[in-house]
Amino acid sequence: MTTMRLTGYADKFGVHPGDTIQFYVNCDGPSEYKVEIVQMINGDTNPRGPGYIDKPVEAAVNGSYQGRKQVIHGGSYAYVPDAKPFHVESFTLQCWIWPTAPKTHPRYWKHGPQGLVTKWSNECGYGLFINEEGCLELRINEHRITTGVPLRDHAWHFCAATFDAATGAVTLIHEPQVVYALDPEIAPVEASLKVAIAHAPVPVALGAYVERLAPEDPLAASSKPAGVVFAGKYNGKLDSPRICNRALSRAEIEMMKAGAQPGLTERRNAGPTGKLSECIVAAWNFSVGIDTLTCKDEGPYRFDASLVNCPNRGMTGYNWSGQNFDWKHAPQEYGAISFHDDDVDDARWTSDFAWVVPETGVKSRFYAAKLTTSEGDEEFIPFWVVPRVGQETAKIAVMVPTISYMAYANEHVACNAGGAELFVYRVPIMQQQNMFLSEHREYGGSIYDTHTDGTGISISSRLRPILSIRPKYDHFLAQAPWQYPADLHLIYWLETMGYDYDVFTDEDITYDGLARIENYNVIITGSHPEHNSGTQLDALHNYTQRGGRLMYMGADAWYWVHSYHPGYEDKGRGVVTEMRRCESGIRTWRADPGEYYHQSTGELGGMWRFRGRYLHSVAGVGMSSEGFDVSSYFSRTPDSLDQRVAWAFEGIDYDEKLGNFGLVGGGAAGLELDIVDTMLGSPPHTLTVATSAGRHTEAYLLVMEDFGFNQQGLDGTTHPRVRGDIAYHETPNGGACFAFSSIAYCGSLPWNNCDNNISRLTKNVLDRFSMDGPLPAPPDSAFKHRGRADYDPTPMEHRSRKERGEPLPA
Amino acid sequence: MEPIPKKGTPERQRLIDAHKACMDSMKGVAGNSVLLCETPGDTTVVTGGVHADPVLKRVLLRMRGESPKGKLIVICTRVDAEWRIARLSGIRGVPPEFVGDKVYTDEQEIQHDIFLMRLDELSDSYGFPEDYHEGWKRKDDNWPIT
Repeated sequence: MTTMRLTGYADKFGVHPGDTIQFYVNCDGPSEYKVEIVQMINGDTNPRGPGYIDKPVEAAVNGSYQGRKQVIHGGSYAYVPDAKPFHVESFTLQCWIWPTAPKTHPRYWKHGPQGLVTKWSNECGYGLFINEEGCLELRINEHRITTGVPLRDHAWHFCAATFDAATGAVTLIHEPQVVYALDPEIAPVEASLKVAIAHAPVPVALGAYVERLAPEDPLAASSKPAGVVFAGKYNGKLDSPRICNRALSRAEIEMMKAGAQPGLTERRNAGPTGKLSECIVAAWNFSVGIDTLTCKDEGPYRFDASLVNCPNRGMTGYNWSGQNFDWKHAPQEYGAISFHDDDVDDARWTSDFAWVVPETGVKSRFYAAKLTTSEGDEEFIPFWVVPRVGQETAKIAVMVPTISYMAYANEHVACNAGGAELFVYRVPIMQQQNMFLSEHREYGGSIYDTHTDGTGISISSRLRPILSIRPKYDHFLAQAPWQYPADLHLIYWLETMGYDYDVFTDEDITYDGLARIENYNVIITGSHPEHNSGTQLDALHNYTQRGGRLMYMGADAWYWVHSYHPGYEDKGRGVVTEMRRCESGIRTWRADPGEYYHQSTGELGGMWRFRGRYLHSVAGVGMSSEGFDVSSYFSRTPDSLDQRVAWAFEGIDYDEKLGNFGLVGGGAAGLELDIVDTMLGSPPHTLTVATSAGRHTEAYLLVMEDFGFNQQGLDGTTHPRVRGDIAYHETPNGGACFAFSSIAYCGSLPWNNCDNNISRLTKNVLDRFSMDGPLPAPPDSAFKHRGRADYDPTPMEHRSRKERGEPLPA
Repeated sequence: MEPIPKKGTPERQRLIDAHKACMDSMKGVAGNSVLLCETPGDTTVVTGGVHADPVLKRVLLRMRGESPKGKLIVICTRVDAEWRIARLSGIRGVPPEFVGDKVYTDEQEIQHDIFLMRLDELSDSYGFPEDYHEGWKRKDDNWPIT
């Protein structure tokens, strides 16, 4: 198989006409590559479908470019530029740590020592480390002093080291916070070193150390600060790091645990004493500025540290009491930062080319910079041309679920998690992108993955090559396209059917609100808009309440709470998104106690459902089950004959199998499925017009938030809620929602050159929803009082097909 | 706990035959399940396989629950054209390694060959007390969590 020698990303997802989009390319091997801007039409290579299709775009940027290697300086840390107060003769270093991978496998991708609090490089300087054997280690120049005691992983330890240059006395302290009955005592290590510290002109690093200064190195070029290669990226929590410029007594070390409290008077603060204050070089307090990328130094020099690659903040500290669960209410208990050796917030590559999108002549569509070499390499960098607010060019708009694309960005689940096979119900298939990522962990993972140390990933950046947002990419979950390439099924259909449309991204609606969408007659979603910001849901609600029409083309949407990190707004909109997997929902990892609140905004993470915003309240349906083996089809229900909605089925017989074909699982009803549930937010007047009830395999399982007690009978062969319901309801002022309730649905649109009953149903809905003005009013008889749980089962219109004497055909 | 049927037993052969029939019937489907398509390549009606054979179902679940280290996986080496068998390393940053040279031109057939390999590789006492080890206390109990 080919290795991926071309990778790249752009500085924007959505670009307005007249604006410039920058592209960053790693070309590792070939001397040059060719760039073509293309419009993306279809990304699925399945031989049963239309195949891969793009359309060349005339662009000034098209041409050949010289290749160069660019690499990612991954792993999070904090740094402070070199300064004279750090050039100490004697010192005390101290901190609390909660290491997650103190000792790694010799073949682990970053096997080696890990830096904790360091002013050390190339055998010069001083610092606290975890050594290769997983033991606390003090380094002074080329000297190593260790306890020789392995640090227990996933446990708090207090660590300190003192060095007195005058006497040569060295002390190294390792004190576990919790000591078990059979733990040997760890005595402080005493040593003598008659040396003078040689100071290198390197930054202080927290959670790393400086490997070298290398201004010409591609790795250093993508580092921050540029030109400095940091190594020894620490995995775990760090809390309350301190540097003092003399060897403190044990009592003084205890006092310094409380940190610097400047301006001691008879009326304020508790210390440290004036004498102790005189020796403080730095005393960082990570509980301040949790929503920023700065670690506040409360010492006299204000050595605020800059965070790189966005480690987790709002993490419980060594002193968390378990009484407060929101860092905003007890910040002093959230003084830990959780670092990971595979965090990445920005690849920080050098731009290779830029395209100024013409003001006219380039429609609002899906595009990509298509990169190729004469040796067969190929890479796509997707982007979207989005009209400015007020300059819309169509009545129809596609809302590109870019937050969801970011949540799934560079997903590793098939490779990381052996259990992946249990939920896909077959042996997963990895693509070349997965193979590349399995080796290049510096490209970062998805919010479905765990970090290389096993903790959950809750942060995703778009400023890195995202190899899952690519055409010609089948996802292991579906053995078919998923997310971006699956949404291209919809785009292929819109293009084939001759619709004119605009596109915009989740970023656009999050930042612009209702203004972004209010001039369209209908908004069409992607196949799986699972991850959403609050302002996005607000905008959709306001839109449908004011007469807008929403076509929800998939399933498992409006599920997870997302926040864009404000620390990256200088780099553009929506650069870094955050999501914490909290108390329920489909979770590939689970946030730890006390860590449910987002570091970026302070809002409670998890499912929108548990924020009181039921999934079903957005478009009428909500996720009820998922399974990933094969898909099935829908059957019409009596509700589909109701004159409120019968127009949607013109040209479709009552007993037709709806979508027993398709490019995703072989049917329109599959992967993840939504149902109508008026108890969970579906409007009481919702019509369920078709259902796939009873047709799913045992691989399909009820979502865990819908049951409270483990039990048999939760799969598609037995549980009645394992089904998809296609649904319709009216909203005020002539608006409406149509929900197709299956991720696989769009995979049926292209079947037979778009000549099929799924295509017909979708066309009927889109033609009506895109008309100008309010939709025709429902008949007077439709206006009546309806309960949520309460209903009268006796009228004929509330009975099943069987009770009416009209069972489904075989 | 469902033991892995021993070599040479009629039960083992029955599972192999059932699995093979399902994989053959799934050819052409953009997905896969150990079920029998009434019309090959068409999931309108699927029966048999794991829905009809509880032993086949449980043996497959045991296989699927294996820990990542050394676990067999499929690698697509040419999009929609070629596939090969590999093993996961179980170590972050160490990519899977190919097993053998066989190149498959069908994404369903390879599933059956992996089934056969696993039948041979898994011990019949797997999951029983005689297999208990220290790792069972530390999430290394042969049933990976996600």
